[in-house]
Amino acid sequence: MTGPAGYAPGPLAPEIVLLAAAIAALAVHLFVERGGRRAAGYVSLAGIAAAGAALALTPPSAAALFGGHLAVDAFALYVKAVVLLAGGLTIVLAFRFFDVERGEPGEVYPLALLAMVGMMAAVSATDIVTTYVSFELFAIPSYVLAGIFKKERRSAEAGIKYFFLGTLSSAIMLLGLAFVFGLSGSTAYAEAGPALARLDGSAVLVAMSLVFAGLFFKASLVPFHMWAPDVYEGAATPLAVFLSTAPKVAVVAVLVRVMTSLFGGQAPAWSAVLQVVSVATMFWGNLAAMTQKSVKRMLGYSAIAQAGYVAIGLSAWGETGRTAVLFYLAVYVVMNAAAFGLILLADGGRGFDETVDGLRGLVRRAPVAAVSVLVVLLALAGIPPTAGFMGKYFLFNAAVGKGLVLLAAAGALNSVLSLFYYFRLGRAMFLEEALPGPAPSAGRVSLLVTVFLAVAAAALLVLGLLPDLLTTPAARAILEY
Amino acid sequence: MNVLGIPILTFVTFLPAAGMFVVLLLPGSRTRAIKIAANVFAGLVFLATLLLLVRFDAASGDMQFVERLPWIKAIGAQYLLGLDGISLLLVLLTSLLTFVATLSSWGAVKTRLKEYYVFMLLLETGMIGVFLALDLILFYVFWEVVLVPMYFLIGVWGGERRLYAAIKFFLYTLFGSVAMLVGILVLRGAHQTFDWTAMVAAGAVVPAALQGWIFLAFFLGFAIKVPMVPFHTWLPDAHVEAPTAGSVILAGVLLKMGSYGFLRFSLPLLPDASRRFAPVLVGLALVAIVYGALVSLMQKDMKKLIAYSSVSHMGFVMLGLFALTPLAAKGAVLQMVNHGLSTGALFLLVGVLYERRHTRLIAEFGGLAARMPVYAAVFLIIAMSSIGLPGLNGFVGEFMILMGVFPVSWIWAAVAATGIVLGAAYMLWLYQRVMFGRLENPANETLRDLTVRELATFLPLIVLVFWIGIFPKPFLDLIDKPVERIVRIVNPAHFEAPR
Repeated sequence: MTGPAGYAPGPLAPEIVLLAAAIAALAVHLFVERGGRRAAGYVSLAGIAAAGAALALTPPSAAALFGGHLAVDAFALYVKAVVLLAGGLTIVLAFRFFDVERGEPGEVYPLALLAMVGMMAAVSATDIVTTYVSFELFAIPSYVLAGIFKKERRSAEAGIKYFFLGTLSSAIMLLGLAFVFGLSGSTAYAEAGPALARLDGSAVLVAMSLVFAGLFFKASLVPFHMWAPDVYEGAATPLAVFLSTAPKVAVVAVLVRVMTSLFGGQAPAWSAVLQVVSVATMFWGNLAAMTQKSVKRMLGYSAIAQAGYVAIGLSAWGETGRTAVLFYLAVYVVMNAAAFGLILLADGGRGFDETVDGLRGLVRRAPVAAVSVLVVLLALAGIPPTAGFMGKYFLFNAAVGKGLVLLAAAGALNSVLSLFYYFRLGRAMFLEEALPGPAPSAGRVSLLVTVFLAVAAAALLVLGLLPDLLTTPAARAILEY
Repeated sequence: MNVLGIPILTFVTFLPAAGMFVVLLLPGSRTRAIKIAANVFAGLVFLATLLLLVRFDAASGDMQFVERLPWIKAIGAQYLLGLDGISLLLVLLTSLLTFVATLSSWGAVKTRLKEYYVFMLLLETGMIGVFLALDLILFYVFWEVVLVPMYFLIGVWGGERRLYAAIKFFLYTLFGSVAMLVGILVLRGAHQTFDWTAMVAAGAVVPAALQGWIFLAFFLGFAIKVPMVPFHTWLPDAHVEAPTAGSVILAGVLLKMGSYGFLRFSLPLLPDASRRFAPVLVGLALVAIVYGALVSLMQKDMKKLIAYSSVSHMGFVMLGLFALTPLAAKGAVLQMVNHGLSTGALFLLVGVLYERRHTRLIAEFGGLAARMPVYAAVFLIIAMSSIGLPGLNGFVGEFMILMGVFPVSWIWAAVAATGIVLGAAYMLWLYQRVMFGRLENPANETLRDLTVRELATFLPLIVLVFWIGIFPKPFLDLIDKPVERIVRIVNPAHFEAPR
């Protein structure tokens, strides 16, 4: 395909592949008679793999595409790969979930792919209009995904709640973006950023606060986190994996871009804001998680706390902090997907009513899965030799490098706090005997999920022992954007 | 440096982990094979650590057998192992006690055997790694690796309140270690490296005020592990609830990780702060000595008594380290080994009784000497070693510490000496109540004396108790140079002042 310079679709091949796969999956779901729903899943997985291959073949370049609306730099490519990873893990878990549920809403697969296209576009966006449009592109399918089980009350509630609060936050962000345009006279980051830096005064800070409010909402940072536990609990488990990982990854990437190129002149201000937000998010997430009985809600709060750790790296402005953030995002996706995957292990675990007691004595029934989950929990808490430790270490290191020792100390303290509830799961699995009578999760142990957990645990251990495998691409992504 | 063509330190560190994988591969039903494999590997590790002695050059105070590989390029962390006489002694202690503890579990552990030995071997890799790592991040990783298997050893095979004790142990220690991690990060900011040897070579780089903060962060990590008063409250719970082998490792090795941390990292890397805080630490150590001994006197449970006696003994070690004289510091290192041997053996002895009677209450026993003469004899030797009877190991360490402390302050020495007296009191009283008198409790009538396997587990400990007590020179030769080197960094005034 040829076109005017800067309008060639080549660098956007992954998005195009994914979009095609979404349409194909939709068609398969609608028109193939028997097994069409599962087939749509396979098509989607193949589409993600193909998009991944296209991504690997795309050379990073700092050139502005489509009149300065998009850039496919190394940073964008890295984050897109993480988004694809999150989507792929979600679909694998969805196979298991829908087997147990005996009902498979096939539209889940094309919707997830469409959302991913939006996220990937958002990551590349270098213009406030593109940013907003791609945000909506991934937000709207997300609302539907959260409420996909129409007959399950909590699922419907999750969908509605997510929709109302999400559109509200989008509107607030749009207002902020309008301020940006009004103050700078441009929609492109490259022009608006320097213009904002020349302005002083509170107007820029108002614009920044509004934009950040919208972004913090999607990243589930305190005080915009209220929706998260309800939505994660109400959504079907694989979709909770999706909603708690992929959008967060994309939004954090957008935050990095916005902070550096749009509000680069306000670094001290946003750093201070993020420090406060980070500490509040970590403490809130961890303390609230301690009081939960439902595993899923506990993991929902844990996902909030994990976002708080990421904010440590964001507030430590500079390359070290951003590299640490990119490293942590990838690790976070694996950790979180595996933690939620635990709920899907056994037939009984419908994913809605799993309590800690249901995990009792799991090591007897499913030793491989239990040990794998233990590794994942250690990673979430940040205990070596797992990638979770390395990720937190890099974040703390970045903070200390900027003189934010107390922030790092708060992060370290939170890693101890989080162990209270992560080890409640570990204790139930390893130290407590199963309750008399059939346990809620005492069904046939799923081979698919066991393999999934084992692979995730192995990946976390390998990255914990050899973190350079991931820091090298992460550092390159930061240097070349 | 290699021995026989293999990187010996890596080999020693990861041989237990290799054993762990072998045990993992065995089917869970083949209990005998699992036991044999675990014991063989624990024995092999001990032999491998003995091999270190062959090539070790005691005349040099430097790190030996150093292995250095780049590890995490992003932050400049290295895979850096090395050992001097201090590490060597502690590694030998670790491998010996792990072997003894594994052997002692042969009949004691009946449930979930495979997991038990897996955790034991993983624990050993972590402990040896702690004593060999010279890169602070690597050290931290090994330090934390120790926590998880210990948590499970207490939590699965422990006593009644094992869940509470296990999580208390884990959280306490983790809290200390994350503080230490922040300290490591700040220290790295000043030195731009994690390499211990480079930090020592660089000398006084860190400003004194900053040293104080880092020292406090390290203090939290190490003092909780030692444990120093007032951070000792996890210890009685963990010791009492842990299975016998767990208590042996906990008291014998894990507590030494704390005092080793002070000696290896706090003293030489933060000399100004160490000097400044030394009186405070000595004060805490003296409180621990007296308080630990007094609380021991009042215990009804044998294991709890020994646990509190550990607080007292570790107070001695800390006193020796922070008197900042070479003699006291050498005594402290030797006392670390002595405490590992005698307290490890005491826990084994209590374990023997517990296996037979399923109680540890002192009041349940009495007059056992008539029924179990061999047991009584072994108990007597170990109790005397713990008290510090001349001719046995405890005396040498405590005497060196007191000698080294006396010139600094006779008051410190006097307070510490009362601890020895109290130590004799609670130990002898314990012995008297358990062994002497008439055998009145009918449940004790049928007690069996030590079996050959049990005696075999005690034999190496008893040999060492006498060896160190009568001829400690080979052990002191090992630590002479490295300890002096560290004290010279932290307290150069001691070597200059003519007296």
